[in-house]
Amino acid sequence: MKRNLIQRISMLLFAAVFFLSCSSDLDFDQVNDFKLEPVFVANLAYFDIPANKLEDDGSTNVYPDVRDFDIFKDKFFNERLKKAEFDFEIENNINRSFVINMLLLNAENQVLQTISFTVPSYNGTPNVIKYPTEVFENARLDLLKQTQKIGFVIIIAAGPPLNSESLGNLKLRSSATAYLEIE
Amino acid sequence: MRKTLILCLFFHLSCFAQNRELLYNFTSIPQSSLVNPGADVSYKYYFGFPVLSGISANVGSSSFSAYDLFSKDGVDFNQKVRDVVNKSSRNDKVVTNQQLEIFSGGFRIGGRESRSYITFGLYQEFDFFMFVPKDLALLALDGNRNYIGKSFDLADLSMKAEVLSVFHVGFHKKVNDKFVYGGRAKIYSSGANATSTKNSGYIYTGKESGTPNLYNQVISSNLELKTSGLARFTKDEYEGNVVRDLANNTFFNGSLGLGVDAGITYYIKENLQFTASIVDLGFVRQSKDIETLTYKGTYRYNGANPDFLGSDDPENVFDEFDKAIPRDTLYNKYTTWRPTKFYSSIQYSFGEARPDDECNCHGKTDKYYKNAVGAQVFAMSAPRVPLFAITAFYRRNIFKKLDLKATYTLDTFSNKNIGLGLAGTLGSVNIYALVNNVLEYKDISKASSAAFQLGINFVFQDKE
Repeated sequence: MKRNLIQRISMLLFAAVFFLSCSSDLDFDQVNDFKLEPVFVANLAYFDIPANKLEDDGSTNVYPDVRDFDIFKDKFFNERLKKAEFDFEIENNINRSFVINMLLLNAENQVLQTISFTVPSYNGTPNVIKYPTEVFENARLDLLKQTQKIGFVIIIAAGPPLNSESLGNLKLRSSATAYLEIE
Repeated sequence: MRKTLILCLFFHLSCFAQNRELLYNFTSIPQSSLVNPGADVSYKYYFGFPVLSGISANVGSSSFSAYDLFSKDGVDFNQKVRDVVNKSSRNDKVVTNQQLEIFSGGFRIGGRESRSYITFGLYQEFDFFMFVPKDLALLALDGNRNYIGKSFDLADLSMKAEVLSVFHVGFHKKVNDKFVYGGRAKIYSSGANATSTKNSGYIYTGKESGTPNLYNQVISSNLELKTSGLARFTKDEYEGNVVRDLANNTFFNGSLGLGVDAGITYYIKENLQFTASIVDLGFVRQSKDIETLTYKGTYRYNGANPDFLGSDDPENVFDEFDKAIPRDTLYNKYTTWRPTKFYSSIQYSFGEARPDDECNCHGKTDKYYKNAVGAQVFAMSAPRVPLFAITAFYRRNIFKKLDLKATYTLDTFSNKNIGLGLAGTLGSVNIYALVNNVLEYKDISKASSAAFQLGINFVFQDKE
């Protein structure tokens, strides 16, 4: 009896909605086409290294750093990510040139991809470079999705030695754009 | 005097905003006392038949209709969703209400000359109220890329839903020819409740100069969802029948509450009538199977931040997020207020007539008016701001036992809502039909709200 009652309610509620549909030609199957395609932007990584922290003797040197990056562990995000873009902006006010390598690493610290930026030395004029957008689609996207760590390697090219009195900074700012498809 | 037996067998399938402007003060329908316990209704006794009781449902949306989303016009469905979201505002609402009467009845108390009545009944009700969560819909549809600098307001998330049964006992008395008053006490038994109306916070992505990172990204959350009677259904180990258990909770094991209705009818002059009523002034103390979920905190996202100093500072976005905005579960009882409705009307009658077809028991009612015009107002409490409606009506007595009511209503959902109601008695059968939003019936799918109500009462009368 109780069950019948509730069934009747739901039937009637359904009928009420259905009743609304009787008039114009409505097509409720369209719901199946429903797809969300939001595009999100987020910070990816940034650093700001003062020259006086890069004390060196003037020869080529390497500074590494590896950070956890576990966003792709999230199944929901991982499965629905259709495309990604990385944008980088590097500002160098140090009188040395650099090569910055960004490494995408998996859980076993194997390098999946390397993105390399050449940074010219500072010559007194503003030195902000926006690098071309890195686009991840298809096979490259699949590699990205295995990423669990991000490593940066700064290679400082030979030049005038730096010490604790040296001025200037090497700054990197970057963002990620995620194209999702949620059905 | 005659003995009257009214057997209410009424069935109605309806879609109406909770404002029952056609039923209100339509006193040839006994059910009008549900919206004004002080309505000038009189009978010897009546009751509603348990199996064939009333069902009513309403679907209303202030910013879009079924047609907007589901029309076969070749436009991509996702585009239509986008259009609906874009033309909605955060104050647009989606409202559903459904009622099912289990039983109802009433009888006159005191002697034949008494004009005091007792009514009683049990009905089940479902209420759903939600504001269009515009900002969150935009975020889900578009993401944040095109909204740099915009704060997505989490307060847009505001909804409540409840399934409950209501047992009521009422009294009304016609003190004299000028004045009728009535009241009704209600016991609510809420089988399930979900309330999330006091949310705040924002999701923000900005680009500000002088900040080291590319974006300034903050989620500040103060979200709270209170539920009662629902927690058990969300558990993995639950294997029962949701519908059966919900019905059982609603009628036999719900969270209890109390409420009152009250109303008056006052004849300023013989042909000038004023009425007012308040319905569902009450609360439910939510105490059964309660669970409150909260997400409170602030999280700032910076991305990966290497410092090349060899420091081992493990960054884990999810852990940090969970720590900043933890999901907490509380088990505190809480109180919810019923959506309280207020009605009032003023009615001017004209066109005097005398019944010549048959005697009508009370010597005093030998004179009546064939026409009445007037205005009604309606208000209902809701989160943020109350709902209002104003109605102009014309009521015409076509035959002695056939009444017509036409209404024109302005409200949140429509500014051209015309309703028509007909109530008549044929032998022992009293039939009424109330149709709302008639202009939209040529294409009901374009209506943002609609009402349709049909009732059959069996009326047995004994002549003296």
